[in-house]
Amino acid sequence: MTFLDGVLRVLGGSLAAVAVGYACVRFLTPGLHRSEKLAWSFATGLLVQAILFVLLSSVFPGLGALPILAIDGAIVAASFLARRPLPPSRPVEPGNAGLMARGDRQALVVALLAIAAVGWLIFLVAALSEPMWATDYLAMWGLKGKTIFETGFIPRRLFQDPALYWGRPDHPLFVPLSLATLASLSGGWQDQALALLFPLCELATLCALYGFLSRRVSPLAGATAAAFTALSFSLYRAANSGLAEIPLAFALVLASAPFFDVLETGSRPAMTRLFLASLLSAWIKPEGTLFVLLLAGVLWVRQRFRLVDTWKSGGWAPVVPPVLHASLMFLLCRPQPVREFDLTFFEPRRWSELLSRFGTVLARILGTEVPRVWIPLLAISLFLLVTRRGLADPLLAVFALQILGYLAAFSISSFDPIWKVDSCFQRITATLLPAFALVLGARVAGERRAADRLTSSPGNEGSGTTRPAPETAEQVAHTLLEIRPAGYLDERCRVW
Amino acid sequence: MSGGASLPDFVRRGLPAALLLVVAASMVATVSPAEVAHRGSLLLRSLAGETITDFERTGFWFDPAYGAFLEGVRRRTPKDATIAIVVPPRPDAYVYQAAYQLAPRRVVERGRESEATFVAAYRYQYPAGSNPNVTALPGGALFRRR
Repeated sequence: MTFLDGVLRVLGGSLAAVAVGYACVRFLTPGLHRSEKLAWSFATGLLVQAILFVLLSSVFPGLGALPILAIDGAIVAASFLARRPLPPSRPVEPGNAGLMARGDRQALVVALLAIAAVGWLIFLVAALSEPMWATDYLAMWGLKGKTIFETGFIPRRLFQDPALYWGRPDHPLFVPLSLATLASLSGGWQDQALALLFPLCELATLCALYGFLSRRVSPLAGATAAAFTALSFSLYRAANSGLAEIPLAFALVLASAPFFDVLETGSRPAMTRLFLASLLSAWIKPEGTLFVLLLAGVLWVRQRFRLVDTWKSGGWAPVVPPVLHASLMFLLCRPQPVREFDLTFFEPRRWSELLSRFGTVLARILGTEVPRVWIPLLAISLFLLVTRRGLADPLLAVFALQILGYLAAFSISSFDPIWKVDSCFQRITATLLPAFALVLGARVAGERRAADRLTSSPGNEGSGTTRPAPETAEQVAHTLLEIRPAGYLDERCRVW
Repeated sequence: MSGGASLPDFVRRGLPAALLLVVAASMVATVSPAEVAHRGSLLLRSLAGETITDFERTGFWFDPAYGAFLEGVRRRTPKDATIAIVVPPRPDAYVYQAAYQLAPRRVVERGRESEATFVAAYRYQYPAGSNPNVTALPGGALFRRR
C-alpha cells in the first residue's frame, strides 16, 4: 500500500465515520449551522466507531473492519428509515445571529476564513510529511493503538503490564481506538497516513467554532475564532500529531458549544449534545474530564448551588460521562499503580512541602513560560479590557480553574515538578486555545454590533453607516432577536 | 471587563482589531518558513511513492541506524513474542521506539530477560559462528532464549 493509497483509505474511513455520525446525531442537531452539523457528525462517528470496535473486538477478536462497516450501514439505513428530523423552519436551538454578513463585513469574513484555510493547510503538510514520531505517540497513543489493531482486541497488559509502566496505563483509550479503527477500515497500520486524523480533527474544530458563533453571534465572530484557532501553531504542529491534545481541543470546543445552548434554552437536544461531548472529552484525556466537570460547576453556581435544579437543568450531561468512564476504567483495568502522582502530598505532614512545590511550579511558569508569550498575553489582556462582555465569557473562569488544576497536578507529581512544567505545560495549555477562541470571537462581534447600534441610532444617522432596514419577515424577526435574544418560535412571536 | 463602554468609537472599533492582529502576528512568528518548505518537500516525495529514510525521519533523531535494527528484529520474531531489548540507557526514545515499532510484541527492558523469548542486543557485534539461536542483525544481534 503506497502512502497515497493509505491517505485515501484513511479519508474513506473518516467519511464513513461522518456518515454514521450524521445518521446518529441528525436528530439532535436541528437548527444548528451546517458546519456545526459536520463537526458533530465527525465526532459522533468517531465515538460510534470506537464503541463498535470495543464491543465487536471483545466478542469476535480479530475480525477486522467488515463487522464495523456492516453495523455502520445498518445504523445509516435505520436512521433514514426512522422519523425525519425537525424541519429547519422550527429551530430548537437559539440563533440570534441576526446580522448576516454583507458588504465589507462579508469580505472580512471571507478573508478570515481564507487565513484559517492557510493555517489548516500548514498543519496538514506538517502532520502528513513523515510517520508520527512524538515521544508520547510512541510511548502511549501509537503504541496502544498499534497493539490493539494488530491483536484485534484490547489486551489487558496495556493496563497491567509492569514492563509498560511508562506507557500511562491509566490514560483513556479513545485516541488509540480511533487510530486502530481507522487502520482497520483502511486495511493496514500506516502511521504516516493515519496522521490524517489530526488535521481532520482540526478541520472539525474550525467547523464547530465557525458554525456555533455564526449561529449564536455572527459570521464575523465565527470567522475570527476559526482564524485565531488555525493560527494556533503551538497546538497544531508536527510534534503534536499523534497526541491526544488535538482531539481534546476539538472535544472541548464541542463541549463548550452545547453548554451555552443549555444555559440559554435547556433544550433536550442541547443536553444530549453536551453529554456526547463530555463523553468524548473524558474518553480522550483526564484534562477533558476536568474541563467538563468545571462546566458542571458553572451550571451549579448559576443554579445557586442547588443540586437538584442543577441536575434538572442539564448538570447531569457533563457529570455522568466522566463518572461512567472512571468507573469502567476502575472495574476493567484495576489494579493500576498510581505512578504519576504522589497523593501523600495531601497528608498534613507534607502540606508545607506541597506549598513549596506549588511555589516552585508557579515560579517556573512565570519565569520561563510567561516571558515567551508576554506580547500576545498582554494583547489579549488589553483586548478583554477594552471589549464588551461576550456570550462565551463564563469560560474564562473555567480556563483559570483548569490551569490552576494543572499547577496542582504538577505540584503533586511523583517527578520533578520543574521537569513536568517544562515538558507539559505549554502543550496541555495549548489545548484550551480553540475553546478560548469562542471568547475572543464572541467579543469581536459584540464590539462591532455595539458600534453598529451606536452609529445606526437616530442621533447618529449622519455617520453614514446605518444598518439597512429589514425587508422580509424573517429579517424583522432576527432584528428583534438581536435586541432580545430568544430561540423558540413562540418567544419570537411574543416579542414581535 | 466592560470598560470599553466609555471609549471613543474609533478606539472601540480599531483597538480590539489591532490587538488581535498583534496576537495573530505573534502566533505566525512561531512558524519557520524553512521548516514548512522542508515538510512540504517530504510530503510531495511521499505522495510520489518515495520512502522517507530513517536518516530523514524525526523519530530516529537520536540514532538513525536504530530503525534498521528494529526492522530486523521485527522480521525475525513472531507477533506473540516477548523481546528483551538491550539498548543504550539514554535517551528513553530507544525503548519507546522499540516498543512501538515491534508492537504487538511485548518489549521488556534490561533486567527482565527472564520473561523474554528473545533478547535483541543493539550495538552488539556478534562474532561469526554457527550458533542457530543467534542471528546477526544490522547494528546488533538477536538471541533466541527458548
